[in-house]
Amino acid sequence: MPDQTQKQRPAPPSPGGGGGEGPREPQVEKPNTEELLKRMRKVDPDQARRYRQRTGQ
Amino acid sequence: MRGFRVLELRQDYDEANYTRQDEERELSFEEIKSDQVLPNGARFYNDHAHPEYCTPECRSFSDIVLQDRAGERIVEACAQKLSERRGAKVRVYKNNTDFWGHSYGCHENYLLPRSLAWATLAEGMEAFLVTRQIYAGAGKFGIEVEDAFEAPGFQIAQRSDFFSELQSVDTMQRRPIINTRDEPHANARLYRRFHVIIGDANMSPFATRLKVGATALVLEALVLDPKRLHPRLEDPLAALPAISQDTSYKWEVALVGKKQSTALEIQRHYLACVKAVCDLGSPERQALVADWETALNDLEQDYRKCRDRLDWVAKLMLVWEFQAAENVPEDDPWLRSLDLAYHLVDEAEGLHAGLEHAGVMKDVPDEKAVQAAISLPPKDTRAWIRGRCVGKFADAVISAQWDHVTLRGSEGRLRISLLDLFAPEDVLRYAQCIERAVTPDDLQAIAET
Repeated sequence: MPDQTQKQRPAPPSPGGGGGEGPREPQVEKPNTEELLKRMRKVDPDQARRYRQRTGQ
Repeated sequence: MRGFRVLELRQDYDEANYTRQDEERELSFEEIKSDQVLPNGARFYNDHAHPEYCTPECRSFSDIVLQDRAGERIVEACAQKLSERRGAKVRVYKNNTDFWGHSYGCHENYLLPRSLAWATLAEGMEAFLVTRQIYAGAGKFGIEVEDAFEAPGFQIAQRSDFFSELQSVDTMQRRPIINTRDEPHANARLYRRFHVIIGDANMSPFATRLKVGATALVLEALVLDPKRLHPRLEDPLAALPAISQDTSYKWEVALVGKKQSTALEIQRHYLACVKAVCDLGSPERQALVADWETALNDLEQDYRKCRDRLDWVAKLMLVWEFQAAENVPEDDPWLRSLDLAYHLVDEAEGLHAGLEHAGVMKDVPDEKAVQAAISLPPKDTRAWIRGRCVGKFADAVISAQWDHVTLRGSEGRLRISLLDLFAPEDVLRYAQCIERAVTPDDLQAIAET
């Protein structure tokens, strides 16, 4: 595995609001993504490790 | 000399290194060298071992969205056929990175009058292209450098890790913000091509339309008012990844003279310029400018408002919700796999497709129109001529290129030049001739003598 030095971390997940400089109260309607979360659980966690492409244009 | 004329590109050396690998691949010569012009006027080919789809020429923002989506459907249909033939699932990702530091582009090409001075074009577009990622970025869970993964973390654009030059002709190494490739595939005395290599592959049709539409209007403003001044970034190459990786989403940048600004302010400058200079009389242009302004306002107030339109926001919010539900750590490689899945063109598995099916994404094109665009070119560009020749007389087509089509007639070759075919009345005249034609011989009226 390549070096995974922590450089830029995303703001932490904050579905109900967060601390620090991150977003607080959601100003937007949260869509119903339950079905989509099921689809996401089927994603192979190692898929990106295996995926390779040649540099392209 | 800015690299307009070179003997060969750096990519040639890379290609030579891959020759041995390709010789051992289980692919036929036709598959490796596949290069097709399709009935919708598009080009579909094997580019450096991945499928590349180039839409036909479009005149309207709605057509480019339809043709882009038609390309997704065509590529996925090919993947399904290959899956059936091989007995194994073939997945195609419409993205720009493999997360190991190997990037591949989603290029845009704009036809411009040759009269626009290069310096005006390059200087005027630099800050625009560096900052448009705030709405055109596709989002990426990872920080990369050339040929290597560097660190976990989210950034708003996929391509911003891969640019190291201000201007050059290269596309695969030492990529430039402003690419100088100038093959207009049109009358070169009258036209130049502006080849944009710095954009991401968008899944959101709204983002595709905004990216291409805003860029086209800014280019038009440069043509109409070449003396107008535009913001100049102090260090464009540093600003590009800095904006992309700024998780405060304030996107502060330094302008020439050390003056501070933001990507939002720079985009507002270009928006104001377009409003002042361009003819915005058509409903399509009015809608584009309104959507551009609203997106900038929403990004400033609360970027999460854009989760129904912009890829990077939609992806970020969706993955955050998954992280929270499944307790996935920020540095888990699963996030990169989910990122990949967002870009699957397979509607049954793709995460962006799932968002569309859930009804949460804006401006999804009508699927009937998408299906029509799979086999029919835009009616108001020369692509109609190219595509319909292929659609009606495929067996007679000897050569189909961007700037000409050559067919086999009963008394020899018929060459139809598309080099200067841009005036709507000329396109219509050629199109009527092709629609009336029963055999290639009926195309004599529009063939070169």
